[in-house]
Amino acid sequence: MADVTVVGQGLFLRGSIRGEGDLEIRGRIEGDVEVTGEVTIADGALIKADITARRITVRGAVAGNLTGEEGVRLEDGARVVGDVRGAAIGITEGALLRGNVQTGAGAEGQKGRSRAAARPTVRVEPRKAAPAVVVSKPARRAETSSADERPGPPPPVVPALKKGARASLRKRAR
Amino acid sequence: MANTVIAQGITIEGELTSDDDVVIQGTLRGKLIAKDSVNVESGAVVEADISASSLSVGGQITGNVTASDRVDLMAGGRLIGDVKAARLTIADGASFKGNVDMDV
Repeated sequence: MADVTVVGQGLFLRGSIRGEGDLEIRGRIEGDVEVTGEVTIADGALIKADITARRITVRGAVAGNLTGEEGVRLEDGARVVGDVRGAAIGITEGALLRGNVQTGAGAEGQKGRSRAAARPTVRVEPRKAAPAVVVSKPARRAETSSADERPGPPPPVVPALKKGARASLRKRAR
Repeated sequence: MANTVIAQGITIEGELTSDDDVVIQGTLRGKLIAKDSVNVESGAVVEADISASSLSVGGQITGNVTASDRVDLMAGGRLIGDVKAARLTIADGASFKGNVDMDV
């Protein structure tokens, strides 16, 4: 498809987006998104919707479940509240996530699994998921904390941040 | 490049509000309120009421249309619905069925 669908910065949609092709979201959406291509959620976007796509890249704020058949990437600036499912999931430093994560088998789609080895991924065994996982440092940290010490609540993930870095993070989150 | 593009193959249903211009090549159902221009290109299918500053129609629209500035119905364009606009042009080869209100 030659043209990418773009939801501009000044746009607000209450409803659904469906179909074939790629999607770039810079504005606000409340509803439902289901496309066959790649979805990019830009910095500054505000989304209250479940998103289903082949691949999802997040740099903005999302409240809803993300399902990326091939993969989901949460990059710096991403703020996600919801469950994330995909064959490969990457969480970059600076991304925030609260919700369940499911990668690989059981997640939608088996394509693109070889990509998992090439980039940082969180692998959570398909069992009862933690009530909440907040990842703000490299993903490997979450891997050890959530996979090793069970049963019992997961230990709080306290990132070693510089003084004031936390406050600025929180400020950005507003 | 336009701020918002609804590409071919994509269907949007619901209420859209935009501060910037919108280009539609795919399908839109519901309602569209834009502060800037709206361009319904050839091949697009719109079943929605549209309000915009200016509207150009090369595709197919079913719904009432309001423009604060102008409406241009291009050759090959098809509009079924009422038009309320200060200025209206209808090109040779366009199809149109509906009432026109030009604030006379």
